[in-house]
Amino acid sequence: MTDSPLLLDCDILVGHDVTTGRWGRPENVAKVFAESGISGGVVSGLRAVHFDVPSGNNEARQVADGNGWTTCPVLDLRDPLGAEKELERQLASDTPPRAIRLAPTSQSVEPTYPAFGHVVQLLVNAGLTIFAEGDVRKVGPALRGLGARVVFLDTHFYYLGDFVVLARSEPGFHTSTRMLTGPDSLEIVAAEVGAERLVLGCRTPFHETRSVIRRLLSSKLSPDEIAQAGSRSLTTLLEPAC
Amino acid sequence: MLIDVHAHWGPWFFSMDVASIDANIDGLDRFGIDLQLVSAIEAIVYDAPLGNRSLAKQLPADPRLRGMIVVDPRRLDEARADLDELLAGDGRTRWVGAKIHTEYSRTPMTSPAMQAAIELTTEYGLPTLVHTWGDTVVDLADVAVRIPDARVIAGHMGANGWPRVPEAADRTDRIWFEPCWSAPEANRIRWILDRIDPGRMMFGTDATLIDPSIALGALEAADLTPDEHEAVTHRNATALFSL
Repeated sequence: MTDSPLLLDCDILVGHDVTTGRWGRPENVAKVFAESGISGGVVSGLRAVHFDVPSGNNEARQVADGNGWTTCPVLDLRDPLGAEKELERQLASDTPPRAIRLAPTSQSVEPTYPAFGHVVQLLVNAGLTIFAEGDVRKVGPALRGLGARVVFLDTHFYYLGDFVVLARSEPGFHTSTRMLTGPDSLEIVAAEVGAERLVLGCRTPFHETRSVIRRLLSSKLSPDEIAQAGSRSLTTLLEPAC
Repeated sequence: MLIDVHAHWGPWFFSMDVASIDANIDGLDRFGIDLQLVSAIEAIVYDAPLGNRSLAKQLPADPRLRGMIVVDPRRLDEARADLDELLAGDGRTRWVGAKIHTEYSRTPMTSPAMQAAIELTTEYGLPTLVHTWGDTVVDLADVAVRIPDARVIAGHMGANGWPRVPEAADRTDRIWFEPCWSAPEANRIRWILDRIDPGRMMFGTDATLIDPSIALGALEAADLTPDEHEAVTHRNATALFSL
């Protein structure tokens, strides 16, 4: 890379990771961003993932507003009726979100459950981008055929082939770069379905952000492809659907 | 000086194209790695003796490559034959350690077979890199305690078991820790180096399965002191493997 591209993290989490006991503090995110050359990104609240959706989403919005980031509310897949109400509340706000985060693994909801399909359909109908945690091999097939715009946040390079196979027939499917850590993973996705399907995702401050950034910047992608994955893909995904 | 103590050569069964030794050499060149200790994927996931011999033919491709002899704990008689053959003559200039994978060999860390395998590599005086994941990083330390003179390196530093590294380090001073991981959690290296002697950690990449940038990024994030940097990047490996 010659010039430093704009970098945005599509996968910021704040709050308590109850599975490990670690915390995502906004000030820690800001510190990692400063050290890594990241300008901002999309933030969700673990309080919403693990405990209470409305207050967790309010907390994430407050963090986003206070730091110049973009908020990404969470819906609880264990409570599809509550998800309906929360989505209604979010869409009625002065600044409605452009994306919603789903955490089926953390919430122990299989993609085959009725709640998952119902919530996904609500999001597709509302023209929102879906940021989806979980194994792409399980979550991906459940999102096919809907015209959904999705970023798979947990695509590991072991399953890169599964993502590519899905993405070939689903123009709305994108993947976070976070675990595409093989020597040619980013390059294979770009060659197969285009760099516009790559979205920089670091899961700051829980994942090693510097590793994700270094992988992208030292990749064999062209400077334009790096800029695309570094921020342009995310920016496009946050624009209103036509 | 940068020494990568955890690397591989050969094709994987995932969607990636790293079969050629040129993939190793490309990584060495691009990331400034001065020495790379390599084991054969074929030996780890399929046939240890055959894979070791396949790697023997590849090592001359670049003077920065050194071999790690893979031992399958289920095939110790053949492993002894490999050690005798590959280390004979000037073999120890090319082969500097042993590698044992717990999961691909379907051999639990706490099993008698694993202990027997490490006893064998210890008999030949080889530092042994063992795949660790989760709590097995502590189990490996316990194996080392039971084998006089064993010197083991915990590959991946337990991955998601990294919070137990200080406990493992306390069990014995004959275990070292290598932190490569395809999905690295934040701040592991700094947290551990604040709790153990820097003489106990050494750099590894898991290339060519994982791009070296991942390990290098994690090292950068740890904000090492000059002494820690020297220890982790090459001093510890140079001493342990007699490089």
